[in-house]
Amino acid sequence: MAETRFWRAALYAALVFAALYYLLPLYVMLTTSVKSIEEIRAGNLLSLPAGITFDAWSKAWSTACTGVSCNGLSGYFWNSVQMVIPAVAISTMLGAINGYVLSKWRFRGSEVVFALILFGVFMPFQVLLLPMAQTLGLFGLANTTAGLVFVHVVCGTASTTLFFRNYYVGIPDELIKAARLDGAGFWRIFWRIILPMSTPIIMVTLIWQFTQIWNDFLFGVVFASGDAQPITVGLNNLANTSTSVKEYNVDMAAALIAALPTIVVYVLAGKYFVRGLTAGAVKG
Amino acid sequence: MGALAIKNVTKSFGDTHILKGINIDIEAGEFLILVGPSGCGKSTLMNIIAGLESPTSGEVCIADRIVNEVAPKDRDIAMVFQSYALYPTMNVRQNIAFGMETRGVPKAEQNEVIARVAKMLQIDHLLDRKPSALSGGQRQRVAMGRALARNPKLFLFDEPLSNLDAKLRVEMRVEIKQLHQRLKTTIVYVTHDQIEAMTLGDKIAVMKDGVIQQFGSPEDIYERPANLFVAGFIGSPSMNFLPCHLVEQNGQVGVTLQGVEAPKFIALQDRAGLKERVGQKVILGVRPEQWDVENTPDALVCKVKITEPTGPDTMIYSEVNGVEMIARVHPRAASGPGTTLPLVLDVKKAVLFDPETELRIA
Repeated sequence: MAETRFWRAALYAALVFAALYYLLPLYVMLTTSVKSIEEIRAGNLLSLPAGITFDAWSKAWSTACTGVSCNGLSGYFWNSVQMVIPAVAISTMLGAINGYVLSKWRFRGSEVVFALILFGVFMPFQVLLLPMAQTLGLFGLANTTAGLVFVHVVCGTASTTLFFRNYYVGIPDELIKAARLDGAGFWRIFWRIILPMSTPIIMVTLIWQFTQIWNDFLFGVVFASGDAQPITVGLNNLANTSTSVKEYNVDMAAALIAALPTIVVYVLAGKYFVRGLTAGAVKG
Repeated sequence: MGALAIKNVTKSFGDTHILKGINIDIEAGEFLILVGPSGCGKSTLMNIIAGLESPTSGEVCIADRIVNEVAPKDRDIAMVFQSYALYPTMNVRQNIAFGMETRGVPKAEQNEVIARVAKMLQIDHLLDRKPSALSGGQRQRVAMGRALARNPKLFLFDEPLSNLDAKLRVEMRVEIKQLHQRLKTTIVYVTHDQIEAMTLGDKIAVMKDGVIQQFGSPEDIYERPANLFVAGFIGSPSMNFLPCHLVEQNGQVGVTLQGVEAPKFIALQDRAGLKERVGQKVILGVRPEQWDVENTPDALVCKVKITEPTGPDTMIYSEVNGVEMIARVHPRAASGPGTTLPLVLDVKKAVLFDPETELRIA
């Protein structure tokens, strides 16, 4: 009895330690971002802020220098928003339709098509940089937000197709047969029967795609320049721009601004994420 | 008028032949059962009738119209699925209405039909529930309601009862039968359960390996099975197959059976074509209930190995001609394991099979 108690206490101690260890960087970022630069220079990395100031946040947002221009991250932030919304929406939609076809309307060779799409999930994106640059140039989309959206849709559709296809495989084929006998066609079955059943997997895909695309640096730095650069590139530029003093509080605030949307999306849709991953485990 | 005619239908996937020339013809209002073990092609045949799969060759006619090229929705059929296939995001009312909505039936008429169907199946109080909030039996009713709302020429039931527990299965079986008697619509019903086949069907098609082994009334199939497979598949416990030799004694053709005493000659009267086969091996098919316990000199004395009391009857397991034999006897006539029991055979009902071709010869 006493022994199990001891091990239980040890287990919880280990878990609490691990949680603190992982939360520590967030704590440092948060506290540093609301400290004044004098306090940072004088004080301890782990100490609580003496006074809370949001000057670093407003500087990171609107006046910090990223290279030669000094307009903060706001422009980059909106670029990212303009990129992520259409890219997530289109790749999710395409994934849903692809998954629906590959699971419920199989055709000769559909398994091969699926295998090829799967290949896209595991492909290292570096191999894509040069041909994609050519393609974007050909389409006249080089260095534009639309071009970035295109790249993310192309690269994201492989994963979204995989998600939806695997989810739809679990939906009984008899539902499709019943709907066909009821007179519904391809699209009507999709809109009225399949899509309403897809909430969990749509949420999973939204979180996944949003996080992937928002956090992407590689495509942002390669395929966008100047006005179209996303926030990850902006953050990099901001942190690398050397001024007389290193403004840690501004850097931390900028990093938090860049990370905030993915956290918000996860908080809003996170319960579906877990539900979606376990969907099908318990059938009603 | 022919309600459903299937003419020489085959279905193959490459070298795999699922259906090998199916012919079925039923009249309007008949209840057709497609029965067979899993993998016999019965569900494929059902899907071909529904138009969800197309035959490799042959013709399907519904109400005297060739429907090979007609889409499922235009065949004037309705189907009840094994998993019920209720749309999970719609409530019961929407589930029943979906087909009518797709066909453009006016809203007022939809409501009328839903009310009528719901009343008939006693699901009025469930109309606003989602399928996940229904019990198995209720889902089954909703699935039937959805089919009834169509008011079709032909109902297709694909193993509709196999997901229900034993008690509910019997109840729903009776209800399906009542429904058929009331509506008098033609029904095609797929099952692997021979009891459902016997109790529900006007006509039964017993299938195996993509071939119809026998097509006829339940009585035909039970009393005069076409071959060993049909004889063994229909009836529970199965028909006993006793290997024998045809012999002639005192001018009568018959077989000898051996229990624990000396072999007994059993004359098979009035059967054509047996004289030529004297001396050949045959298989005597005897259903368990064709034995009676009777203490007469003609009785075959058998040793009881196991008894299985089911309540109304008791199954006696013993051995005849070297193979296991089951007799269904009255519980009071049964005796315990290790004892012997005099059994008398109802010879008129026994059937004979050729062990080579497996076909019934008499």
